[in-house]
Amino acid sequence: MIYKKVLNIAIILLLSFSLHGNTLQSDSTVYRKFIPDYVKLQFAGGIGFLSVGAGYTFFKDKLDVSLFYGYIPKYFTVDDLHSISLQFTGKLLKYKLSDNIEVLPLNFGVFTHHTFGSEFWVRLGDKYPKGYYWWYPAINVGLFIGAEIKTKLFANKTPASGTAFYIRIGTRGLYLASKANNSTIPVKDIVELGFGIAVYR
Amino acid sequence: MFASCKEMFDYSPYVIDFDEKDRNINNKNIAKIESLNNTDKTVRIAFTADTHRNSDELDEFVHSVNKMNETKAVDFVIHLGDFADFGLPKQYLWANSYLSKLNMPYVVVLGNHDLVGNGGDSYHEMFGDFNTSFIYDSIKFISINTNSREFEYDGTVPNINWLDKQLKPSSDFTKAVVLFHVPPMDVDFDSQLEEDFVSTLSKYNNVILSVHGHLHHYETYVPYSNNITFLNTYAIENDKYNVVELVNDTFKIMTYDL
Repeated sequence: MIYKKVLNIAIILLLSFSLHGNTLQSDSTVYRKFIPDYVKLQFAGGIGFLSVGAGYTFFKDKLDVSLFYGYIPKYFTVDDLHSISLQFTGKLLKYKLSDNIEVLPLNFGVFTHHTFGSEFWVRLGDKYPKGYYWWYPAINVGLFIGAEIKTKLFANKTPASGTAFYIRIGTRGLYLASKANNSTIPVKDIVELGFGIAVYR
Repeated sequence: MFASCKEMFDYSPYVIDFDEKDRNINNKNIAKIESLNNTDKTVRIAFTADTHRNSDELDEFVHSVNKMNETKAVDFVIHLGDFADFGLPKQYLWANSYLSKLNMPYVVVLGNHDLVGNGGDSYHEMFGDFNTSFIYDSIKFISINTNSREFEYDGTVPNINWLDKQLKPSSDFTKAVVLFHVPPMDVDFDSQLEEDFVSTLSKYNNVILSVHGHLHHYETYVPYSNNITFLNTYAIENDKYNVVELVNDTFKIMTYDL
């Protein structure tokens, strides 16, 4: 059931994106600007079992700004988790291998991750003195590095210009703070590995 | 390699998905404690508290306790709260990975930090009920949640009726030791319940010692006119810990280095 829900959201996002591509050829370029430059579907990476995202590229494709919605069904945890994540990805290197394939071997990103639910507060309740806890369970910040391969897959028969596959490996502030001065905590325990697919317009 | 890669595919820092070995630990260990055969008529307990982010030091504590020679070996270990600094499931798993190497059973009392975020769910999965008790050698050990601030001082924490029921004399114990994280005179304890809590401790005249953490320093004191001794035990960061020896109605408090 839950998988279907997530899949539906992904399909709707992809569909709306491709429909926009079709109908907008006659539309104003101003409106076109607001259509996301890509949509993404990601597995893991600390922001959901599956997450769907959309975003824009800036500076001649050197910077991605993406917003993800991530979901973890109850099957994997005590209570299901919903979150959003804002991610900034700098694409530092790009090699064009052929007309159809580009390799981006060094992406660097920073992100914020907002988990929803009353127990994940943004602001300490009235009962606490200021600074009682110095962090916010709701909002985590983190960083990652990654790599991406851009292909022309789906470019011919759809309005998409190409499809990319990416991996990313990251961590977040709360994990780094836990690991600091503790050699007995294994590095693999604070690593968030993920991969995904991006469809560009 | 594949297994460790699989672990690294993290879905969220708040996913609680513990293996069987990391579940229901207090109850499992209480069963072990209750089946121990105490031959020397002395009950020895090591107390530590407030691990927070001092994981390496908790590891040292475990080694130190395991190294005690057999005649001085403790019967079991009590951790008096703030096991997981951010209340993260991973912090629960890390801390438990050290304590599970103890040669003897251990019980973990709930601290305020353990409740941050969905930490209460992690505690419930890993250790069980927020209030629990067991009897060893005719002494009843009562672990009670006193983290009132985390429950917005709603009058339910600590649960005084439960404490009263636990202390009510019965044939299976003669005296009691009460364990909690936040001491009753602290601002994090519900001041509306302080008086009731303290009077309940002495109501049946069977509490010989109260042990708590939260304050990150050591002190043995008698804070109330009910004459019950409180042991404010060391935090892990103090690089020391207490061992208490109970013989009949008397207790002896000792300090060890990590």
